[in-house]
Amino acid sequence: MTLKTNYEAKYGKGVGFERIRRITGYLVGTMDKWNDAKKAEEHDRVKHGLVK
Amino acid sequence: MIRSIVKRDGRVVLYDESKIASAILKALEAAGEGNAADAARVANKVGERLEQMSQETPRIEQIQDTVEQTLMHEGFENAAKQYILYRAERTRIREAKTSLMKSIDEITNVDARMSDMKRDNANIDGNTAMGSMLQIGTAGAKAYNAAYLLTPAQAKAYREGDIHIHDFDFYALTTTCCQIDVLKLFHGGFSTGHGYLREPQSIGSYAALAAIAIQSNQNDQHGGQSIPNFDYAMAEGIRKSFARLYRRKLKEALEDVLGTDDEQALADAAVAAGREETDDEPRMQLNAASFDAAAAAALEADGRLSRAQAEMIVRHARARAEKSTDRDTYQAMEGFVHNLNTMHSRAGAQTPFSSINYGTDTSPEGRMAIRNILMAEDAGLGHGETPIFPIHIFKVKEGVNYNPGDPNYDLFQLSMQVSAKRLFPNYVFLDSPFNLQYYKPGHPETEVATMGCRTRVMGNVYDPEREISFSRGNLSFTSINLPRLAIESHGDEKLFYKKLDDMMDLVAQQLLDRFEIQASKRVYNYPFLMGQGVWLDSEKLGPNDEVREVLKHGTLSIGFIGLAETLTALYGHHHGESDEMQQKGLAIVRHMRAYCDKKSEATHMNFSLLATPAEGLSGRFVRMDQKRYGKIPGVTDREYYTNSFHIPVWYPISAYQKIQKEAPYHALTNAGHISYVELDGDTANNVEAFESVVRCMHDAGIGYGSINHPVDRDPVCGYVGVIGEVCPRCGRREGEALSQERIDELRKLYPEITTFCGCR
Repeated sequence: MTLKTNYEAKYGKGVGFERIRRITGYLVGTMDKWNDAKKAEEHDRVKHGLVK
Repeated sequence: MIRSIVKRDGRVVLYDESKIASAILKALEAAGEGNAADAARVANKVGERLEQMSQETPRIEQIQDTVEQTLMHEGFENAAKQYILYRAERTRIREAKTSLMKSIDEITNVDARMSDMKRDNANIDGNTAMGSMLQIGTAGAKAYNAAYLLTPAQAKAYREGDIHIHDFDFYALTTTCCQIDVLKLFHGGFSTGHGYLREPQSIGSYAALAAIAIQSNQNDQHGGQSIPNFDYAMAEGIRKSFARLYRRKLKEALEDVLGTDDEQALADAAVAAGREETDDEPRMQLNAASFDAAAAAALEADGRLSRAQAEMIVRHARARAEKSTDRDTYQAMEGFVHNLNTMHSRAGAQTPFSSINYGTDTSPEGRMAIRNILMAEDAGLGHGETPIFPIHIFKVKEGVNYNPGDPNYDLFQLSMQVSAKRLFPNYVFLDSPFNLQYYKPGHPETEVATMGCRTRVMGNVYDPEREISFSRGNLSFTSINLPRLAIESHGDEKLFYKKLDDMMDLVAQQLLDRFEIQASKRVYNYPFLMGQGVWLDSEKLGPNDEVREVLKHGTLSIGFIGLAETLTALYGHHHGESDEMQQKGLAIVRHMRAYCDKKSEATHMNFSLLATPAEGLSGRFVRMDQKRYGKIPGVTDREYYTNSFHIPVWYPISAYQKIQKEAPYHALTNAGHISYVELDGDTANNVEAFESVVRCMHDAGIGYGSINHPVDRDPVCGYVGVIGEVCPRCGRREGEALSQERIDELRKLYPEITTFCGCR
């Protein structure tokens, strides 16, 4: 059973996208290692436009 | 007659009056009243009182209560106070121990994804054996430090969230971070403590040893490690590699043309002639014409080659040497990036937290180093992943790389292409007045460099002759919960500043108290940092010497977070919303900086003001404040306090306005700062737009900045870029599988996808 799951994972079943964001000046592997407060902060971030 | 007592854990043990007497005697001595006879008498009375009270076996708390009452009753009021204090202290320590056991239980048994504590530092994998062991050590050290090393006032402020003492687990052990001058370290070779390394002789060894230096020093300190002169240092390795390769290619070309087996002697003679002519090794570009002419003349003098043949051989040898050096450099830089993302430090729980600064070396070798480290970063790791370490910091300087026509302008351009894809490099701006004041052309040690999240060390009141970045770092830093001071001031500005001054006094004293602990360590406590002369002036110390004096080159930093929430709590809105609030915000931060300057002058220690990064802290303060004050709109109603002086991440503002608002705070926060701009993926990939933001930062007087944009990767097809719901390369959604046919198709289109990394 385990074998089958891994075999499927090879084709992407159950595999998510990696999302890399800057945390406090540095990067961390993917966001699953972030603490709850920083996850909330990342969620709230708005993009900054380039109009003067 | 009392025969036994019940202890806290429920065990019944024999009653021992002498133990009570000795506790009472300690209280009497502390109060400076009474003697051993008094202690025995009071202890006896305690026994009598207990007997009168009840027939049941007394519990320990009951006995302690009775001791307090009896001391009072017998007229030893001061001793009673001492006894109460002693009890409270024991209670605090006992509770710390209990919560320690709970913490260890959580570390041992809970999945890190479920435990915020285990994700406090995102660089430690709390699910692994070594990561957990490190966290258990952390929990133990914190409990000990809080119970024994802080004054009651400091402990209360820390526990209740008035302040945050960063890296508290290392409180009694070491200092934060250091800018490692690897050139100085390499000259003559060095020891890692596990073995001696000779001075490196090629770019490959320079890069490998640079990674080892970072790793070794990481084990002596709790913060990040940085190389301030990465380009200048790698350039020396490239010079050595090129000189070797020039000689080897010359030998090979001679053997090809002459059809002989070994022309080492002739090649050596040619190089010797070039050396004599130029007084230098063969260099790329710099002495090429004169060196090559002398070498060709020497070859012709051998008699077997015509002048034209000799010149051709030298020309080919040089071209091939340059090409090989470039290739070796790329491999060295690629290896360096791979090493820093895979090698372990701190008992295997972390990759070293590393930074490299570069961009200003305009020599051909320095330029080769910069170009190749950027290209290695651009290429990413083995499956095209974005490298997490090192942090790349590109030093921007007018006349060096900022404007068209500057010698390294092309590399500045390249850096922005790479940053638009990989989030690094970040940019440090040497032209900003507070950085420019230290800058001396031709002295890389006077160029501002950063390490870790943002730490900056330049000014030096302890030794004003040494206002440099090399071989120095931060000793410790503690941050103030600024929003709480504002909430508790209830709109009273005067009261706020009064509270702020009191809190800064408390923090400054705590930093000095910690310095005492750090300063009384010996060189042998920091075998690499001090033992190998990495820290400024440590080479003048012997292994058993105290590090006190040389540590004074470092900084003691007072930090703050949540300026935006502070302004909202005090005045109703934040500095992003009005110029009036911007002035109020600057007044607060200017006030804090003035305090640090005054403290520096008074103590001759480098007190500096930090724009605190707040990773774990951003949630810790606000959680406590929500419990105390409820959800105050714009103040405590989110899960985090805003990073230092930043405009809140959720507040809509243009990039240019954000930069203009934040720049003046950079000038005030001399312990370090960073500003971010968030761009969407399309804008980030537009290099002109990207550059316009970097130039805006430069012109506004930002000290250190970077541009955030989404960098996603599909581990199945290897696509790197922005991924919304659907991967633009393979068309799958998260969790969906691809068919074998589709995978085969993709493999034809993107041959770099060799294996699928989806088996985690």
